[in-house]
Amino acid sequence: MMSEKILYSLNAIFDTPDEISHAAEKIAEKGYKKFDVHTPYPVHGMDDAMRLAPSKLGYVALIFGLSGTLGALLSLWWVSAIDYPIVIGGKPLFSFPAYIPVMFEVTVLSASIATVLAMLFVFFKFPNNSHPLHGTGYMKKVSSDKYGISIQADDPKFNEEEIRKLFESLHASEIDLIFWDNEELNHKNKILEPKFLLFLLAAAVITSGTAYFSLNKLMFMVPFNWMMEQQKQNAQQKSLIFDDGFGMRQPVAGTVARGYMPYEFKGQPDLAGEKLVNPVPISKESLKIGQQKYDTFCSPCHGYHAEGDSRLRGQYPNPPTLHSDKVRKWSDGRIFAVLTDGQNIMPSYSTQLTVDEKWAVINYVRALQRALNAKESDLQ
Amino acid sequence: MSSSSIEYQKKELPLKIQKIGLGLFIAGLIIVILGYMVNPDRSAYNNIIAFTFLTSIAVGSLFFVAIEFLSGAVWSTPFRRVGEFLSALIIVLPLLFIPLLFNVDKVFHWTHPEPADKILIGKAPYLNVTFFIVRIVVFFLLWLLFYYLITRNSRKQDLSKDSGLTSRNVKISAVFMPVFAITITFTAIDWLMSLEPHWFSTIFGIYYFSGTVLAALAAATIFIILLDKKGFFVKGIHTDSYYSLGALLFAFTNFWAYIAFSQFLLIWYANLPEETFWFLARWDGGWKYASIGLIIIQFLVPYMGLLSQPSKMNPKRLLIMSGVLLFAHYYDLYWLVMPNYEKGSVPFGWIELGFPILIAGLVITVFYYKSKNENLVPIGDPKLKRGIDFRL
Amino acid sequence: MSTGDYTKELSVIEGKPLLRDLDELISKPLETKPDKKFYIALSITLSMLGMLVIGLGLTFYYGIGMWGNNNPVGWAFGIVNFVFWVGIGHAGTLISAILFLFRQKWRTGIARFAEGMTIFAVFTAGLFPLIHVGRPWLGGYLFPYPNQHSLWVNFTSPLLWDVFAVSTYLTVSLIFWYVGLIPDLAILREKATSKIKKVIYSTFSLGWRFSNRHWQNYEMVYLILAGFATPLVLSVHTIVSFDFAVSIIPGWHTTIFPPYFVAGAVFSGFAMVQNVLIIVRKIFNYEHIITIDTLEKMNKIMLLTGSMVGYGYAMELFISWYSGVEAEQFTFLNRALGPYAWAYWTMITCNVISPQLFWFKKIRRAVPVMFVIAIFVNIGMWFERFVIIVTSLSRDFLPSSWAHFTPTYVDVMILIGSFGFFFTWILLFTKALPVVSMVEVKAVVDGAQPTHKEH
Repeated sequence: MMSEKILYSLNAIFDTPDEISHAAEKIAEKGYKKFDVHTPYPVHGMDDAMRLAPSKLGYVALIFGLSGTLGALLSLWWVSAIDYPIVIGGKPLFSFPAYIPVMFEVTVLSASIATVLAMLFVFFKFPNNSHPLHGTGYMKKVSSDKYGISIQADDPKFNEEEIRKLFESLHASEIDLIFWDNEELNHKNKILEPKFLLFLLAAAVITSGTAYFSLNKLMFMVPFNWMMEQQKQNAQQKSLIFDDGFGMRQPVAGTVARGYMPYEFKGQPDLAGEKLVNPVPISKESLKIGQQKYDTFCSPCHGYHAEGDSRLRGQYPNPPTLHSDKVRKWSDGRIFAVLTDGQNIMPSYSTQLTVDEKWAVINYVRALQRALNAKESDLQ
Repeated sequence: MSSSSIEYQKKELPLKIQKIGLGLFIAGLIIVILGYMVNPDRSAYNNIIAFTFLTSIAVGSLFFVAIEFLSGAVWSTPFRRVGEFLSALIIVLPLLFIPLLFNVDKVFHWTHPEPADKILIGKAPYLNVTFFIVRIVVFFLLWLLFYYLITRNSRKQDLSKDSGLTSRNVKISAVFMPVFAITITFTAIDWLMSLEPHWFSTIFGIYYFSGTVLAALAAATIFIILLDKKGFFVKGIHTDSYYSLGALLFAFTNFWAYIAFSQFLLIWYANLPEETFWFLARWDGGWKYASIGLIIIQFLVPYMGLLSQPSKMNPKRLLIMSGVLLFAHYYDLYWLVMPNYEKGSVPFGWIELGFPILIAGLVITVFYYKSKNENLVPIGDPKLKRGIDFRL
Repeated sequence: MSTGDYTKELSVIEGKPLLRDLDELISKPLETKPDKKFYIALSITLSMLGMLVIGLGLTFYYGIGMWGNNNPVGWAFGIVNFVFWVGIGHAGTLISAILFLFRQKWRTGIARFAEGMTIFAVFTAGLFPLIHVGRPWLGGYLFPYPNQHSLWVNFTSPLLWDVFAVSTYLTVSLIFWYVGLIPDLAILREKATSKIKKVIYSTFSLGWRFSNRHWQNYEMVYLILAGFATPLVLSVHTIVSFDFAVSIIPGWHTTIFPPYFVAGAVFSGFAMVQNVLIIVRKIFNYEHIITIDTLEKMNKIMLLTGSMVGYGYAMELFISWYSGVEAEQFTFLNRALGPYAWAYWTMITCNVISPQLFWFKKIRRAVPVMFVIAIFVNIGMWFERFVIIVTSLSRDFLPSSWAHFTPTYVDVMILIGSFGFFFTWILLFTKALPVVSMVEVKAVVDGAQPTHKEH
């Protein structure tokens, strides 16, 4: 059995920190490269004695710290000035002083996490519980109160006899060999082990089940649904407060909502035709809005070209063409009255179109009319 | 006592230093006097910068000496005398504040408030000339007293080697701490904040304190490095001690930035007119660039320069950064004071140069005389041996 | 210290114990069954924790209306407790990071415990913003993530900075603590006899093998983490102070808040650490590891930070008069003489006057006296936050909207419960992990380091 084992290292135990420092110095001096010192706590000056190059972790911290700062600045700028630009507290969209706290925290967070992860997983190659030194008497001693030194068998200068002599000359209190554990060396993790698959399945079922329950069920249970079902008057509910029982109230007599102008010519289309003047000038923008709104709301009946040849022809009383002399001679205000009040079977479009949009639609209808009945001057 | 094993040969500073010091002092004095004759207002403002700057170095050095006693630090013991010599500048402080007392009405608006200005009249119990003079004189006497007590014990120890003197200094230093905190705060309020008497900021005393410690530390570092180069200290200064100095400089650079940013952010964010006008004056016209320059020179440059571990151990780098920080503190005080003299543009001319030259001369001369009469190393200090052997 | 011998460094650990004995002593609580005293203590903290559960249950079911908060006083016990517990959490990182940078070796005996307390205090503190939103299950919206409403959080709000600061602080403290634990877990792995323990310790020690090539990087990481944790610990309470100071409420908007909050946090944190450590060192026989000298140094820091807090009070008071702003002047008169004057004077007595007793060496070294003073400090620091938050809100600019705040029984239950929550963690910690770092303590025992050689 012993002969099959592969040698890992030759180790020596020392009793005092002075001895181990001295030993490390001597061994580094002899030119051994693959050796390590094991001490229960960091011993001062050991890095120099072992001739180790300075740790490179400072660079990891610097790089990740700086990228944290920069990344935070960029994302804050993008979020608050580009993607979701809202003025808060009268501050500019890009408020650099107010970003400094978050930038600082992100810097610290990314640098700390990256440095520690780099140390554990890149520099130390952890987790590693199958190292040959684990579970040995040597490890037990150096974890408690002894100081050990170990020279690996794959060091180019490794020579068991020579090193033994060297250790003895340095007053080592114990010297022993450590072998690789064959079982661990040959052990392979199987991904398709049934136990592991079962574990994955269980994890998947539990996570998705919990997520489904909390998002689709729990949120609709008491008290989580209280935000949705509050004790308040909803729009169509009966009110117990007011005599007329309506939950929705009329505006106070004589008041007008902000940004709303009442229509004075209800039921008086001719008066409207006389008095109302189109305030929206004919422009590319207004025609574009007019076309969009016309195509959406008017074309189902009147057709895309206002000839009354719509997709709904035959299902209702046929809608008239807008190219008739009557309509062409109507003033803009008269058409506005139709859009606002409706006419015959046509309903009011006040809820669909704002005042400006109505005028824009009228401008567009005029353009359609001109397309079929162009004036002499249009040809020029 | 094991300290007897240290061999120290007193070395004199070269006579050249004295000549340079006196030369600078006289040159500065001539410019200052000319300045006072040509433009007394402007000179008085510059005088305030100079006074507060010298206070920073002098009282700040005494603060560090006291901190060493209080914390029981050993690494700084071999060069503690540098701090003690610099704190001797306390003696010459009247040279800079007495001329100002005759010009109080030129620089301080609160000496003659308009009758309609209810706020200033409400402040009169504190901001009046008599109380102002009483305050500065009392502060000066307190500083002088503690300077005398602490350095006397330290000097005595050179001969007696009595460790009881260290214990006594620890007690004196403990009492000095609250005295220092109060005097430095009210010096800042009186001489810097009250230049704009309507403005107020509770952090202002700490802001001035952060500059004070930086300036004192930077001045001491410069002297330590130059003297160490010429071999004035026992066995030289080890890189580990330089590292500690560098780390402190770095830490206080960050502390200054922290305090300055806190003050700015809170005022900027709350946006109250009674506070923001002070910062707006420093963001107006040319002052905008001066403000940006302050961030660069007092924070970014020393921060970058001292960030890495090797740079904190490198005396050459430390020397440069200490120079930058010392300049930065003067610049900081200039930024605090001068917008009250001229709004919208940054005044800079030969009048501004007089006081820095005068101060450089004063510092060198005082240091020279102190080092002539006293040991540069506290040879009787029981902590000295540990300080020399100090390793991280 | 008392001998006044300055020529040699004083030992941090008394009596030069054997390294192996230190291992035994520190890991003893983990290897023995908990005794009766432990169960009594645990049942007390668990019943306090029960009050928290009931208080939170009532709050979640019926809403924030169960608290005493009213219209001008929208922030009361919830935020007071939050700031208080975050403050308690500051001592740990201060001890492990700042004192590490200052190379104060006496920190080794208390660092692990203080770090643990930091984490538990931040856990406790973290409860409060969450319950204060009223619907804690919607707390996820505090974090900026591309959500289905395409809404982003407001990055200029100090409350959001808090989210970043507190979560960063918790993460970094946990990392710091865990990194410090790895070698100790490896020691326990080597000592473990039962198989379950062996598996657990092996898993969490990640394969640590005391290699100096590892120690080198490990010490570097410790230095870097300390370098980051130091400004971080300042930033956390600074940002907590911004919650108040960026507003324009008189008594909240004052520029000294950041450093003064930090000093206060360290002050209360040290008081809490000291209180708990006095008990721990007695029960576990750690008197030679957590020495009287260490406690005295902690008391000195409490004197220092307590005086800084006093400086803050004085500065606020002076500048409120000096500012000439009527609202400011009124706020401070109102604090000292108004309906909450009792709270103000409790705060002054506990925070400013009581630590001044530490000027006397005898008191600094008398364990029962310092224990009482530290309790006073904790009371005082809780009242400081109460005074700041409640007095300023209850009487602001408009006298017509003034209102008095009185806590309800739910408020009180949650406050008591938060102590139960915190101390339950602490008790479990003392039985689950080594409360003193074995590695660090071993490294500072006399003779543990090679003797100094002249080159």
